[in-house]
Amino acid sequence: MFKTLNQRISIVLLVLAIVYLILAFQLPSFAYTNIDADVVPKGLGFLLVALSIGLFFAKDSETEEQRARRNIPQKDIGALLAVFAFVFLYIFFLELLGFVVTTAIFIFGCSWFLGYKKHVVNALVSVLFPLVMYLLFTSFLQINLPQGILPF
Amino acid sequence: MGSIEGILAGFQVALSLEGIMFVLIGVLVGTFIGMLPGLGPISAIAVMIPITFGMDPTPALVMMAGVYYGAIFGGSTSSILLNAPGVSGTVATALDGYPMAQQGKAGKALAIAAISSFVGGTVSVVLLMLFAPLLSSVAISFDPPAYFALMFLGLTAITSLSEGSTIKALISAVVGFMVVTIGIDPQTGTQRFTFGNVNLLEGVDFLVIALGLFALAEVCTLIINRKDLSFDNKQKLGSLKITKDEFKEMRGPMTRQSFLGFLLGVLPGAGATIASFIGYITEKRLSKNPEEFGKGSVKGLAAPETANNAATSGAFVPLLSLGIPGSGTTAVMLGAFLVLNVQPGPLLMTDRPEIFWGIIASMYIGNVFLLILNLPLIPYISKILKIPRPLLISLVIMFSIIGVYAISFNTFDLYMLLLFGVIGFLMRLFSFPAPPFILAFILGGMMEQAFRQSLTISNGSYMIFVESPIAISLLIIGLLSFLFPIIGHFRRKKEV
Repeated sequence: MFKTLNQRISIVLLVLAIVYLILAFQLPSFAYTNIDADVVPKGLGFLLVALSIGLFFAKDSETEEQRARRNIPQKDIGALLAVFAFVFLYIFFLELLGFVVTTAIFIFGCSWFLGYKKHVVNALVSVLFPLVMYLLFTSFLQINLPQGILPF
Repeated sequence: MGSIEGILAGFQVALSLEGIMFVLIGVLVGTFIGMLPGLGPISAIAVMIPITFGMDPTPALVMMAGVYYGAIFGGSTSSILLNAPGVSGTVATALDGYPMAQQGKAGKALAIAAISSFVGGTVSVVLLMLFAPLLSSVAISFDPPAYFALMFLGLTAITSLSEGSTIKALISAVVGFMVVTIGIDPQTGTQRFTFGNVNLLEGVDFLVIALGLFALAEVCTLIINRKDLSFDNKQKLGSLKITKDEFKEMRGPMTRQSFLGFLLGVLPGAGATIASFIGYITEKRLSKNPEEFGKGSVKGLAAPETANNAATSGAFVPLLSLGIPGSGTTAVMLGAFLVLNVQPGPLLMTDRPEIFWGIIASMYIGNVFLLILNLPLIPYISKILKIPRPLLISLVIMFSIIGVYAISFNTFDLYMLLLFGVIGFLMRLFSFPAPPFILAFILGGMMEQAFRQSLTISNGSYMIFVESPIAISLLIIGLLSFLFPIIGHFRRKKEV
């Protein structure tokens, strides 16, 4: 039934629209207004329902180039997932270990993983950049980044 | 304050030591980021926003404007040298710029690009200076229905003009609008779609969207292409000199495209990309030797470069005078204004003249800086193209993380950033354009407000949108704009 890509995407969008609509209909009403908070969301929900039905029946108008974008080698998908995992860990440890330490480990590890072979340059960049950014933000811009385990 | 006094005051801001310094920083950073393949002005502006926190709004916005047109300027370098446009606005530049570089005339190509950009940028700033105050004085009488209709027009224009399927662009805009409904409704105080999560009460921050959908999604593309397109060390730039004859050839396209590009920049939805392509096509049609185009034609390079820079200043007209961005990039620019608590719009010129005129005046100076920077320094600046991809990827991720953390100080928003990075990448894969999403996200809140204000005025009657002549004409133009792609579709069919 869901042969074309457009049809599969449209089903996902339809589900999204319906969930959004259900939530929109559950919004509490507010007595002292002409136009309550649910009017616009309901309109948007129905609009998305209509558009996803439209997409279901729409002809595929992608160019070859756009199609080619989806031909990602297995290895690169692995690399993408790995980098996402790295970023996830980066965020997770950011407030625990502090900005400088986490960022340094992240830049070094991520660049190495992606195939950067000059380890000395990599190490220099991954120490200097976070340090400079940290000092720029905390001293010059007065914006605090997580200090973590470092004493400054 | 009259226009002349205004612009004089603006120059006082722009020519102060602080003004000059921040224009310079802005255009430098913009040029660098714009030059990096894959990273465009949206990422450049979004990455720079955290730096402006706590700064005085005038220098901060002068700098951000510099980042914007600097990024468009910088994009041409990677188009010419690598055939890898950093910005979609410079795709047309590569058509003749890259062949010229391959003929060993890279230096000349870069010089032509720099000069045409300068001319396009400068002429359009003059036009901006004339038109923005005019539009401001008209817009000051706009009521909520007219504002709603204007924003509606902006959204329909960008969806109908984005590349690929219109229905996908519309879906992109609707979902962007949906995301902005998350959080406390400012008018009734109702919590919408927050799932009881405290972090969602204030809604999703626009930097999360801008950095996720653009910077992180661009990083994904960089990861996939991390091995190809490294800048060849041995490539010779050649002489930067332009002969008299070549300069004569450039004159026509530069004059015409400065005006055309500006006009297209002012119109909602169009912007630098479309201006550059239209500039390229019109010059090809006008040319006596159209067969030269695509093989390193001087005109073919001068036209898009003039047009895209002219369009960039043109895009500031609706942003400064109406407070309504016409493109994804100016939407992020509007975000930069709002972060600094500056509301652009018809009142900006009278309430904050130093900002309004300061930005305009700084653009003259910025364009001069860009010319000075780019002509003699091109060989050195182009070294940035040699930054190894893996290092570049890690650094862009770091900048995105800092950007979001510095605005929210919690990791919840960082996870949201990651989520929108994934969404942005999937949108790219399945050809859903991202600019309508960000524009809808930025305009959504204002649109809903204008919509509900209108209906409150009319006591719930939708007739208010029909009765106001401005509103109804704008709404009709907005709906008609969907016809353009359909007409184009039929024309293409005919040609096949």
